[in-house]
Order: sequence, then C-alpha cells, then structure tokens
Amino acid sequence: MSTDPILDCPFDQVPEGPKFIEAAMRWHFSPETGSPYWLERAKTLGFDPREDVRTFEDLRRFPNVANELRDVRVEDLIPRGYGPDADVVGVYESGGTTGRPKRVVLLRDWMERLTHRTEQDLQAKGYPESGHWLALVPTGPHIFGELVRWQAARRGGVHFTVDMDPRWVKRCIAEGRAEEAERYAEHLVDQCARILETQDVRVLVTTPPLLTRLARRNALVDLINAKIDAIGWGGAHMDPDTHYLLRTEVFPDVRLHGTYGSTMILGGLGERIVPPEQDIVIFDTFSPFITFSVVDPESGEPVRYGDRGQVVMHHVSKSFLLPNNLERDLATRVAAPPGQLGDSVADVGPLPTFENEQVIEGVY
Amino acid sequence: MDELIRLGALGTGGPYHSRSRLTITELTGTPVAELSLVPRLFVQRTMAALHEARTLPAHDRAAALARAGRLFATGVVDGITAEEYQHIVTRVSGMPITVVRAATEGIGRRAAEAYRTTRYARPQGAVDDWRDPLTRNGHAVWTRRGDVFAVHAAGNHPGVHTLWLEALALGYRVAVRPSRREPFTPHRLITALRESGFGDDHVVLLPTDYAVADDVIRDADLAMVYGGEEVVNKYGNDVRVLPQGPGRSKILLTGHDWESHLGTIVESVSAFGGTACVNATAVFVEGDPAPVAEAVAERLAAIPSLPPEDDRAVLPVQPVADAHAIEKYLLDHVNGATPVLGGDGVVDELGDGSAALRPAVFRVDRPDAPQTGIELAFPCVWFAPWSRADGIEPLRNTLVLTAITDDEGLVDRLVEDPSIRNVYLGDTPTYLMPPWVPHDGYLGEFLMRTKGVIRT
Repeated sequence: MSTDPILDCPFDQVPEGPKFIEAAMRWHFSPETGSPYWLERAKTLGFDPREDVRTFEDLRRFPNVANELRDVRVEDLIPRGYGPDADVVGVYESGGTTGRPKRVVLLRDWMERLTHRTEQDLQAKGYPESGHWLALVPTGPHIFGELVRWQAARRGGVHFTVDMDPRWVKRCIAEGRAEEAERYAEHLVDQCARILETQDVRVLVTTPPLLTRLARRNALVDLINAKIDAIGWGGAHMDPDTHYLLRTEVFPDVRLHGTYGSTMILGGLGERIVPPEQDIVIFDTFSPFITFSVVDPESGEPVRYGDRGQVVMHHVSKSFLLPNNLERDLATRVAAPPGQLGDSVADVGPLPTFENEQVIEGVY
Repeated sequence: MDELIRLGALGTGGPYHSRSRLTITELTGTPVAELSLVPRLFVQRTMAALHEARTLPAHDRAAALARAGRLFATGVVDGITAEEYQHIVTRVSGMPITVVRAATEGIGRRAAEAYRTTRYARPQGAVDDWRDPLTRNGHAVWTRRGDVFAVHAAGNHPGVHTLWLEALALGYRVAVRPSRREPFTPHRLITALRESGFGDDHVVLLPTDYAVADDVIRDADLAMVYGGEEVVNKYGNDVRVLPQGPGRSKILLTGHDWESHLGTIVESVSAFGGTACVNATAVFVEGDPAPVAEAVAERLAAIPSLPPEDDRAVLPVQPVADAHAIEKYLLDHVNGATPVLGGDGVVDELGDGSAALRPAVFRVDRPDAPQTGIELAFPCVWFAPWSRADGIEPLRNTLVLTAITDDEGLVDRLVEDPSIRNVYLGDTPTYLMPPWVPHDGYLGEFLMRTKGVIRT
C-alpha cells in the first residue's frame, strides 16, 4: 500500500479535514503501514477506525492511551509504512509529573513540517532575522529543548543552552527539599546570566517560572530589556496577572510570545497575534495535525464558547497518532479560525487543586 | 449585599485588582466579596519595593498609627462604615457581633498605643538613639533586626491584627498575607494606615494562594506565621520566623472550692465564641473532675443558639457543611472520653444554611490523655483529674495557664517552665490580654536587638 499523498502534502497546504483523517486512519490501521503498537491495540478498540473514524468528532471515540506510552517499546511506535530505515530525530519523554514518563518518537518528516510552521509564525511575529538564541528550557529527554534547537538553527543564529533537568526539581520539592530546588534554579539563572552578560543574544526562550525568577535580579532585567528583542515562553502555564506585569512593567521593551504544547502532541504552537490591549493569550492549533477540544471535566462534553473546560489534545500525522489525550490543563474555549478543526484555547492554566487541605484542628 | 465587595491587593502602587480572584462567601454560601490573588511576580516586586522604602520618623509613625486606629474603629474606610465592616466580618466568620465590635475597638486602641506598648519590650539598659548622652561611656542602643516584616495572618479573630502594628511602630515595613477566611480586617486596617500617613511602600496586603505564600516570608527579613502544629514543625528551626502555633490554654484547679470559680472557667472556655488561642481547652481538677465538668456543662448548655449578628449571640456559627466537618472531627477523636455535653453532636442548624457550634464538655480519666491537647474553634473543653504526683508535665505546652492554687512551690515550677508562656494566678480568666502583659513574649523581643555603641 502506498502513502496517500494527503499525508505528505506540501508544507504550505492545509489538507481538508475529513479526507485527511480518513487517510490517516487507513495509514495507521492497515497492517502494511500501521505501527505494531496501534495494530495490536486496534484489536481491543471495539470499532474499526478505518470504517468508523472519518471526522474530527470521531476522534473522541478513541480511548486515551497516553498512559500506555510509559511501557511501549519505541520501535513499536514507528509506522511500518516508513520501512526499516525510518529517519528518527529522537525519542522524547513527558515530564514525569504524574508517574513514570511517557515516551514518543520524533520522525524527521514531522519535525520538518512543524519547523516550517513555526518559522512562518516567527516571521509573522517579527522575530529578529539574525542574532543568537538562548534557550533556558528543559533539555535531554524533553522535546522542548529540541524544538528550540531546530527553530534557532532555521534562523541561523548561534544557539546557547543551559542544561536543565526539571525532574530533579520536582523530586526535590516532592521530598521536601525546597532549598535544594531553589539552589538548582539559581544555578540555572547564574549560567543564563553569564551568557547574557557576554553574548549578543536577541531571542530568549524559557519557562514562566524561570522568567519570574530572572525578574528577581534587577541587573538581568536591565540586560534583557537592553539586548533581547523577543522572549518566547512555554513549557508551563503563565497566569494572566503575571503575563500583564511582565509585559507592562518588567520587560516593557521586549515582545513576549507564548507557546502551548506537549510532548504528547510532538510540538508546541505559538500564541495568536492580538492587540496588546486585549490582554489575552490565545493558542490556535496546527489543524488538522495538532488539534484541541475543550470539554467539561465531569461529562466529557464540549463546554460553550467562553467557558472554562479541560483541554483534550489530538495528534494525527503520518508519523504518529495520539488522539483524545486529556491534559491536566484548564482553558477557555475560543472559536477557532475558519478552516481549523476543533477549538482554540485561551488562558490556559492548571487544573484547580485544593489550595490547602482543610485544617480543622486549631483556631487559626 | 447586592454588589460584591472588590477586595484588591494593596501593593506599593496602590490597590491592585488582579485577574485571579477568590470569592468570599458568607455563612449561607452567598458570595459577598471577591479577593484579588496576586502571583509570585507581584509578591517579589512588592517585597523588593518594601526593602527600598524609607521608614518614617518614630514620631510620625506613632501619630499615624493613632490616626489610623481612630479611622479603623469609627470611620468610613473605602466607603465602608465601621458598622458595615463589623456586620460583614460577623456574617463571613460567624463570630458573634459583640466580639467583633469589641475587637474593632481593641484594634483602634492598640493602634493608638502601639508605640507605647513597644516600650515594654525594650531592655532597661538600652536607649533608642545613638545620640543619647548615655552612649558617651558606652551603652546599648535598641535596633531593628531587619527592615521588612511579613505576617501570615490568621482569620479566627480580628485581634490577631493588633500585634503587627508594633512592628510598624518600631519602623519595620510590613507585608500581611491575609487569611482567606477573613481578609476584611487587614484590608480595612492597612487602607486606614495608608490614609493616615503610612506610604504605600510601608505596609502592604498580599493575598496569595498557598503556593506563593512562602515567597512572602522568604523575601522578608523576619516573619510571623499563624497556624497549627504543622506551622511550628515547618518554621520551628527558622530563626527568622516566629510561629504562632496552637494555644492549648489550660486551667488548673486545686483545693475544694471550685464553685466560686465556675464563672471564670465558663468564660475562659466560651469568650470570643471559643475561637481564640487564649480560650481554655482543658481543665485539670485536683480530685474528682466530674462535678466540676457537670456544673460547667450546665452553664454552657444554657447558652442559646443565635445568628451571630444577634447582640445576644455567644456561640460561633459556620456554614452547615463546615460545622459538620468540625463535629465529625470531634466525634472521631472522643476515643473513650466520657461525654458530659455535646456527645451526640454539636451542630445546631439555624435554618439558613448556617449552624451554631454548641459547647462540648468531655471527661478523660487521666491527666496525660491526648484529648486534652485537642483545640477546636468553638467552646470545647476536656476535663481531666490531676494530683500533685502527676506534676507539671500535663500542664506544659500552653499559651495561657490559669492556676487556681495555693501551692507556691507548684507556681514556681509553672513560672519556670519554658513551654508555658503565661501563668495567670487565682480567679483570672485565660483570655485576658492587656497590652503590658506579653502574649507569647513581647513581639519586640523578636523584632529588636541591642547594639553596643561607645562614643569617645
């Protein structure tokens, strides 16, 4: 069986939704082209994706199999249609916040498609055409560092990095060693400072918690305002109050651009360009490859536009299929631009956790 | 109330209304206010501005505190009169209105006296100013240990906000993280302080969620934190933090004449609706505690269940679900104690979604029974037998111990014990807190130190 050309369509084309989904289902669930994992998993789905999944809405029929990616051999995730010499960029893992990490395989054709998309976005936002990048983001098994490396390479600048292991920070905090987490974070900022002090960096990519931490040092704030044209943030939530303060008070001379993504969708998407006075961060999707739905956490049904709900992410490409993955994020459901499948999302934040367990004993 | 009160943070740039807000509901579940919650970035920038601010001269601080106290207690602050403020606090916290009124007056008075009361803590050998002629031959000067003081406040009683006024009087810049249960008092007080002469960068209100709370402490020089055992465990070893932990106030009754002290026992248990750290939670009786417990229970049982805004209300009121949670905690921890009052439950629904928490009295059979350490925010007391052979061990770890005894040797040991913070003798209720008597030591002991100055 040959590849349906719609799965390999030119980077500048947006494939038509239902046709694309049908082609993807044929690819991932045909014995000649599908991955060993999905072909085996299909036996217990209770439906035949090639027959029963034809539209975006039908993706909701899939169970959320993300948890199974903690144990699957990576070879079993590569569609057989790529043949024995699939061009693997790397294997990446989820953060490990909710247990053992989940693993995904990044293939070159997808990475090139995503990088092309991101490049268009950076151009639209007026990122500097030249100049160096500094990435203070999770590295190693985390896809964020790899994505930034590709973007920087595409732009031609030198890519400065700092090693970052967020799992160690989480472990320190979970084990009550907040002071150690604090020291580690300051160690990261120290390294970042040395690069900013000596190099002509024009783009800084980092996470919201680290951006807040950078803002503690007045000298760094001055350096960033003087040297940096654009700050790309991602990898964690940024609450709207922090966003406003960063934009208006801390880094008034720098453009701030958010990215929302996940290892499980093999990428991240830049925020929609809106006038600053709207004071909102909206993420459109990379339809039909990466799409979102915003649902009621209890019923799983879509919430109304403007209401808050839990984010469901879908990745459907030639290289990988992971539909219907319920993320631990809440967002406001926003109407997608014309032609985009699913929803856009705004004000992404964490699922609410109990602020503090109710303490009964004691008078305070 | 038709419109929600918007309680902003009070930052160094004035009131700040954030996008992230917490709805404050009154006892029936009706929303009454929205409290702005500020993020970590706001906290760290505000704390940095406090460090950079210049303190007012002592005279101006004392005068501004006095003005603010009057305004807080009697004036219109942020469009809200004192009476309206008191009504809101009562309807949100469930504390009896008479308690809130007395607390309002108390805050006004303590603000006026704040500078004077700091003097009690100053060592007799120390002077305030290096210019004092005494320093010519070498002398101690009383100086601040830092510049910025943070408070994780409690919401159990408005009076917790009297203590940190002394830090302002001593020249600290102060950041208060309010309790989500009752942010109205610190908001009103800080607004009044700002209208009375303190700058926006001298005293701030930083409502935050739990995750950011520690940042307020980290970025301060010194901090005071209210909470239970967990707070003491968390900060007990941090020399920068003064924990205000459990009160576990107690009464010791020796001798045969207990009847003439009934009033003091009942008042110590039920004053302030039983919500304060100075309320007695255990009574140790030499001899048989049963008749004393029954007599106390009889008086407590006569207290009516009333809405907290009723002038005759004495008991605290909570939303029904919260009241049941407290009741369940109590009944789960009875653990073999003999119920004298409230053994079948303490929740008395008022019919509007709220419930009064009725008094509870239990007897345990030995002085070291663990129940004597259970402190709940309503009138709830455990009676235990005690004999001289038991010694002072069961009486330890106590904020206020009222000892009704003629045994001077025993009193010596109680006064010497470092875990008993206050010893009141004779027919003295546990809840007395005159400003010249230290509460848990003088706050000034923590905020200040002596510095040697010699002029030649």
